[in-house]
Amino acid sequence: MKKGFSRITISLLLVVVLTVLAGCSTTTTGDTTNNGGEQDNNVEQVVNLYSDRHYDTDEELYAAFTEETGIKVNVVNAKSDELIERLKREGQDTEADLLITADAGRLWRAKEDGLLQAASNDTLTANIPENLRDPENYWYGLTVRARVIVYAKDRVQPSELSTYEDLTSDKWMNRILVRSSSNIYNQSLMASFIDIYGEEYAKNWAEGVLANMAREPQGGDTDQAVAVAAGEGDIAISNTYYIGRLMGSSNPEEKKIGESLGIFFPDQNEAGTHINVSGIGLTAAAKNKENAIKFMEFLTSEKAQKQFSEGNYEYPANANVEATDLLKSWGEFKTQNINLAKLGEFNAQATKVFDQVGWK
Amino acid sequence: MLSLRKLKLEFNGWAVLSLLIILLIILPNINILSNVFKEANDNWVHIKTYLLEEYVINTLVILLFTGAFSLIIGTSLAWLVSVYDFPLRGFFRWTLILPLAIPPYIAAYTYTGLINYTGVIQTFLRNFFDLKINQKYANIMTIEGSIFIFTMFLFPYVYTITRAFIEKQSASLIETSRVLGRKPLEIFWVVVLPISRAAIIGSTTLVLLEVLNDYGVVQYFNIPTFSTAIFRTWFAFGDVNTAIKLAGLLMIVVVSILFLEHLLRGRKKFAYTTTKVRPIKRIKLKGLKAALAFGYSFSVLSIGFLIPTLQLLYWAFLTYKKIFNSKFLILMLNSISLALISSIIIIMLALIVANYTRISKSILGRICAKLTILGYSIPGAVIAIGVVVMFIALDSQLLWLYRLFNTDSKLVLSTSIAMLCAAYIIRYLGIGFNSVETGFEKVGKTFFEASRTLGMTITETFFKVDIKMIGPAILSGFILVFVDIMKELPLTLILRPFNFHTLATQAYKYASDENIYEAAIPSLIIILISFTSILIFHRLVDKEGEDNGHRN
Repeated sequence: MKKGFSRITISLLLVVVLTVLAGCSTTTTGDTTNNGGEQDNNVEQVVNLYSDRHYDTDEELYAAFTEETGIKVNVVNAKSDELIERLKREGQDTEADLLITADAGRLWRAKEDGLLQAASNDTLTANIPENLRDPENYWYGLTVRARVIVYAKDRVQPSELSTYEDLTSDKWMNRILVRSSSNIYNQSLMASFIDIYGEEYAKNWAEGVLANMAREPQGGDTDQAVAVAAGEGDIAISNTYYIGRLMGSSNPEEKKIGESLGIFFPDQNEAGTHINVSGIGLTAAAKNKENAIKFMEFLTSEKAQKQFSEGNYEYPANANVEATDLLKSWGEFKTQNINLAKLGEFNAQATKVFDQVGWK
Repeated sequence: MLSLRKLKLEFNGWAVLSLLIILLIILPNINILSNVFKEANDNWVHIKTYLLEEYVINTLVILLFTGAFSLIIGTSLAWLVSVYDFPLRGFFRWTLILPLAIPPYIAAYTYTGLINYTGVIQTFLRNFFDLKINQKYANIMTIEGSIFIFTMFLFPYVYTITRAFIEKQSASLIETSRVLGRKPLEIFWVVVLPISRAAIIGSTTLVLLEVLNDYGVVQYFNIPTFSTAIFRTWFAFGDVNTAIKLAGLLMIVVVSILFLEHLLRGRKKFAYTTTKVRPIKRIKLKGLKAALAFGYSFSVLSIGFLIPTLQLLYWAFLTYKKIFNSKFLILMLNSISLALISSIIIIMLALIVANYTRISKSILGRICAKLTILGYSIPGAVIAIGVVVMFIALDSQLLWLYRLFNTDSKLVLSTSIAMLCAAYIIRYLGIGFNSVETGFEKVGKTFFEASRTLGMTITETFFKVDIKMIGPAILSGFILVFVDIMKELPLTLILRPFNFHTLATQAYKYASDENIYEAAIPSLIIILISFTSILIFHRLVDKEGEDNGHRN
C-alpha cells in the first residue's frame, strides 16, 4: 500500500545522505584544521587565512612560509566585505585565523565589529611603522599604494600640477578622468580629506572635480590611464601600481601607454599624498594563534616584504625594505600623516558626500 | 476505495518531498525577507533621498530593453532553426546556445578590451592607417552597452527553451496550418507564438532575473542599478541589514513579476495531440532568403561567441607562459565535478517538485512552483549570507553527531563543499524546474491519466512514462544548470572551503584586479568545457529525436 511512498522517500533520503557524505569526504580542511597549535606534534600544523588579495606572487610567498616552518597555509579568497560578513556569522566557531584585506578601512571595520584581536609583538611593531598599523595593533599594513595624479607627458607639464585641491580649478575643465565613487580607493581618498580638512572641504573638492570630469566615471583605474593616453582627458586619479602594471604588460600597446604617462605625487607642500595599505589582522577567534603570528612576522619580514610588494608594483610597508627601481624612479614622496584607521571611520561619510554631490 | 487511499498516500509522498525541497529554498530567504520589516535607519533615508530613483529607473530601462531584445533574438532564431533549412543550419542549431558559456562580466571586460584605445581594432587602424577614432564612439560602458552585453550573452535561455518547445510540440499544428494554406510567417504569428507563449515568457523571465541579480557588469560599467544600491549599502556603509532589506524588496518585486508572468501565460494548456511526436518538415530556403537566414544566425553567433572567444584566445596567447601550469588540471576537475554533481541533484529535485506541482491542483502546488525561482532573483552574495546562517544553525544542531566522530570542529558542514552544493540548489533549482515544467506542460496529462487508469502508480508512471517523454526537456535543463554553475561566481567565492579553487574563481582572481589578460585562460577553459558538454548533450538529444522520428 505504501510502496510508492516509501520508494521515493528512500531514494531521496539516499540522495541526501550521499550528498552529505560527498560533502564531508571532500571537506578539505574541516578535519585537519581543528587542531590547536599546541596539540600533539604529529598533527599537521596550519594557519587559516581569509584574504582579499589575489596575486600569484602571494601564493608563492605562502609556499615559502610552509617550506620554512612546516606550517600549511589554507586560504579562502573573496571580497573583504563578504569575508568580514562570513567571519561575523561564524562567530567564535570560525576556522579563520587571519584576515587580509586590500584596504585599511576594512580592517578598521573588522576591528569595530569585534572580529579581530590585538597581536602585540616586538617583531611586528619593529617591522611596520606606526602610521601603517592599528593604534592598538589589531592589524598591520603589508604593502603601501599611493593615489596619485597620472598625466599625459606630451600634453601636461608636471609644473602645472600641485595639489589635489588644484584639480577643482577651471584650468582642468573637461580634462580629468576618474573612476566611480563605488570604488574603495576613491572612498578612502575622500575619507582622508574629511579627516584632515573636514566634511565641508571634502564636499567642495568632490563638486569641483565632478565639474571638471572629461566623462562620466566608468571602468577601473587602468581604464582611466588608457583614456588619458587616448586623449579623452589629460590627467587621471589613479593608484600607482596600475601604471607599473601597464609598463610591464604583455600587450605592446599597453606598454607604450605606460611609458607615455607620468606620475605626480600631489600635496607635497601640504598634507602629503594619500596612501592606503593592504593589511593583515588576527581574528578574535583564532584557533592557531601561534602559527598566525609566525605568519604575520614572516609577511612583514624584510625578506618577504620585497617579494610581496614587487609582485604588484607596490611599496613595501617595512621601512627597511627598498622599493623596486621602477618605483624609486617615480621619486620619493611625503605621505599623508594620518592613522589609516581613519579611512575606515569616515568611509560611510565619504560615500554619502559622493552621493550628495552626484559623483556616480 | 482502496485505490483512492493508495493514491492519497502515494501522492503525499511526492507532496512531502516537494515541500521539504521548497523549505530548503525558503529557509535562507526568510532571513532576508524578515529584514524588510525592520525599522529604517539613516542609510536607508540617504539611499531613498539621493539614489533610489535613478537606480530604479536605470534598472527598469535595462530590464525592458534586454527583455525585449532577448525575446526577439531568441524566439526568431528558434523559429528559423526549427522550421527552415539553410546553409549550416544544423551547426547553428546547437552552437547558438554557446554565448551562455561566457560569463557576462567577462564579456564586458572582453568587449571593452576589444574596442578601447589599446584594443586590436583601434591599434590596427592607428598603426596601419594612422586613423584615430573619437573615443566617444568606442565607449561601451553605457546603459546601451550593458543592454548589449546582457542581450547577447543571455538570449540563449530564450533560444534554447523555445526551440526545444517548437521542435517537439508544433509539428502537426504547423503542418495542418500549411495544408490549410497559411503562409510561414502567418503560422508563426497565429499558431506558434501563442502555443509557445509559456516557454517564451518563462525563459525571458530567466533572462530578466539574471539581469536583476548581476553585479559584475554594472559595477564595471558604473551604471547605478538596484544591485549597485545593495552593494553600496553593504560595502561602503558597512550596513548589511539595510543591504538585505533592499534585497528583500527586490525579492518582493520579483515574486510579483512571477505572478504577472503566471497571468500572462494564461490558463490554456497545449499538449501533445497524438502519441507520435514527429519532427517538423523543414522548408528549404533558397537564394537571398537563405543568405539572410545564414547571415543573421552567423552575426548573432559571431557577436555572442566567436569574437569574444577569439579575443580571449589572443590574450591567452599573450599570457600563457606566465599563467598556465599543471594546477589548471585540478581547477578543471573541481569545476567539472562540482557542476556535474550539483546539476544532477538539482535536476532530480526539479523533477520531484515539477511532478508534484503538475499533478496537484491545489494552490499550494502552484505556490511551490513559483517559489523555486526565489533563489534566482536576488544577488548571489546576499543569498550567500542566508546560506551561511542556515548552515551554521544546522551545524549547531548536529554537534552531537560530530562528537560521535570525535572531531573537535564545531563547523563541519559549513566548512565543507556541501554548503556550496546546497547554495547552488537554492540558486538554480528554478532554472532546472523551468525546463522540466515546460516539458511536462508540453506532454500534458493525457498519458499520465491513461497510465493511471491502466493501474500504474504515480511513481511507476513517473519512471516508465513521464521521464521518457520529457527526456529532451530534462537534458536541456541539465545543460543550462551545468553551464550556469561552471561560471557561477559570488556563491562559489564566498562559500567555498579553504584552498578550493574553480576555473570561475581563478578567472575572477585576475579580472577583479583589472588583470583581464590573465583572466583569459581560465575563462577559455570554462568556455571549452561548456562547449564540449553542450556538444555531447546535443548529440544525445538528437539521437533520441532520430529514434523517435523518421528523419532529422
